[in-house]
Amino acid sequence: MVYVEFSTISKHFGTSVAVADLDLQIEQGEFFSLLGPSGCGKSTTLRMLAGFVKPTTGQIRVNGRNVTALPPEARDIGIVFQNYAIFPHMTVFDNIAFGLVERKLPRVEIKQKVDSALAEVGMTGFEDRYERELSGGQKQRVALARVLVIEPEILLLDEPLSALDKKMREEMKYWIKNIQKSVGITTIYVTHDQSEALTMSDRIAVMDQGRVLQIGTPVEIYEQPASRFIAEFIGESNLLDGTALDVHGAVCSIDIDGTTVTGRLTQNNAAIKGQAVTLLVRPEMIRLHSLDASEKPKLNGTVREIIYQGSVVRYRIQIGHQHVMVEVANRPDLARLDLDDDVEVYWNADSGVAMP
Amino acid sequence: MERKIPLPMLILAILGFCYLLFPILVVVLAGLTTGEFLTFPPKGLSLRWVISFLNSEKYLSAFFFSFKLALMTMIVSTILGTAAALFIARSRFVGRTALRAFFLSPVVLPGVVVGFALYAFFITSGLGISRTIWGLWIGHILYSTPYVIGTVGASLATFDVSLEEAARSLGASPMRAFRKITFPNIAQGIQAGSIFAFIVSFGQFEVSLFLSAPNSEPLPIAMYNSLRYKFEPDAAAAGIFAITLVIASVLLTNRLVNIRRLLERQDG
Repeated sequence: MVYVEFSTISKHFGTSVAVADLDLQIEQGEFFSLLGPSGCGKSTTLRMLAGFVKPTTGQIRVNGRNVTALPPEARDIGIVFQNYAIFPHMTVFDNIAFGLVERKLPRVEIKQKVDSALAEVGMTGFEDRYERELSGGQKQRVALARVLVIEPEILLLDEPLSALDKKMREEMKYWIKNIQKSVGITTIYVTHDQSEALTMSDRIAVMDQGRVLQIGTPVEIYEQPASRFIAEFIGESNLLDGTALDVHGAVCSIDIDGTTVTGRLTQNNAAIKGQAVTLLVRPEMIRLHSLDASEKPKLNGTVREIIYQGSVVRYRIQIGHQHVMVEVANRPDLARLDLDDDVEVYWNADSGVAMP
Repeated sequence: MERKIPLPMLILAILGFCYLLFPILVVVLAGLTTGEFLTFPPKGLSLRWVISFLNSEKYLSAFFFSFKLALMTMIVSTILGTAAALFIARSRFVGRTALRAFFLSPVVLPGVVVGFALYAFFITSGLGISRTIWGLWIGHILYSTPYVIGTVGASLATFDVSLEEAARSLGASPMRAFRKITFPNIAQGIQAGSIFAFIVSFGQFEVSLFLSAPNSEPLPIAMYNSLRYKFEPDAAAAGIFAITLVIASVLLTNRLVNIRRLLERQDG
């Protein structure tokens, strides 16, 4: 069931267009990410949903209700900010109680709800602390508790992990996802970090320059990027230049330096035949060790660089005048390669994505 | 936390302090003289002129007039200045910087110019407030408000707007979000600004010179007028009371505002 719906939403600031003709449908209970580089319009989109920014055109509906003209306090939306926005002059308890006090709940009930919210985020015993006495991760927990305690219809998270250090970020990623799952709240998550989006989301909308480029599950976004921009923005990509030879439906055969390989087309496009195409292959999809001598087309390459990373080994392979990065699991059954070794490079037909 | 200050710096700092505090010392000691005239160093110490000040109808009424004027000025300046600072900080129109400069201009302009400009305006406009308490009040407000704009503006610059947005989305109306979140967090700046306004008004001379009514003179004008004709130490004694009042108000604010806690918060 569609829970949040943006219909032809645009936002102009003076002459600059922050968001253009945005159409989005978000399901109830879904963890939906808006992913894109800074200035792509993802934060503006979130702020329009929260009610801080008024759209120039279009309509936003939440749970069937048109909220476009409503002020933030009438929207029943919880938002966690990048810097958490913990009220510095209030204790943790008063911070979390804030929304309940505004809703004029009886004192006993407020105490009860705050206590259970604190327990839920693992912050019992921190009631009397002030913001300046909390670590980044603790602020995050308080910010989330403060929002969840009012049981909003939607949870908005605006880059909530970017202020944390790397280790904390990893930890909070799973923690937030688990909380979201157990509460079952519809969540919209804004981030520029593709790994956060891939790890946490049910679906992702990739945005650039105020437009949505692709909406899909993490698997779809990562494995079937709709454009070169998305491929390069999300994960690491090898991009090989070649010429399209033949197109059968969504499959395209491509000539790369005299070897014919296949790739999936991002859209059916027979007209691409005979034209220059870019083939996208992820580093971990490429194989260098021919375990079965099958008929797969192989490219001949030479090892030019070896980067040892512990769990994986990365090789830079030169193929003709092009280079690819290859990531190989560090396993005893896969022989280690040396510099200037000649190797055969191949991948499964599905793993290559052909783009105009 | 102990910090070693290099000796030359320390000497410079002490010299600087002496330079700044010397006039105060002169006034205080001159006010405590036993002699008939203003001299420095004083001829012996006594409370003679302090008592004379306390018995002087002229000085006492000037002192309380200045006090009342400064209080009234402080109230209006604080409200106007806070509103203006909020407007400058929150609005996003093109002339924002120019408006800010305009609001702050009374600080930069010589007081004589502001005073004379207002005097000329009051006279020629026929408002009937030249040389009245009202005209003087307006002048003082004009002169003090920029200090409030400055301090409140500074605390708004460090105030994170997302705090207010968080309050809004938690269900608070704009007024309640301001009262419960924004106001407590900029209260330090408002308080500091209002004390500034009070002190500036209390010590104001140039604007008062043009605008004060003959029968109700603020203290600086009364002291000046008195010293023009006779060089008596009760002017210095009046100075002692003025200095005491300013120091007391600063100390009082310090207690109210708790500057140490403000600083602590900013570290975190």
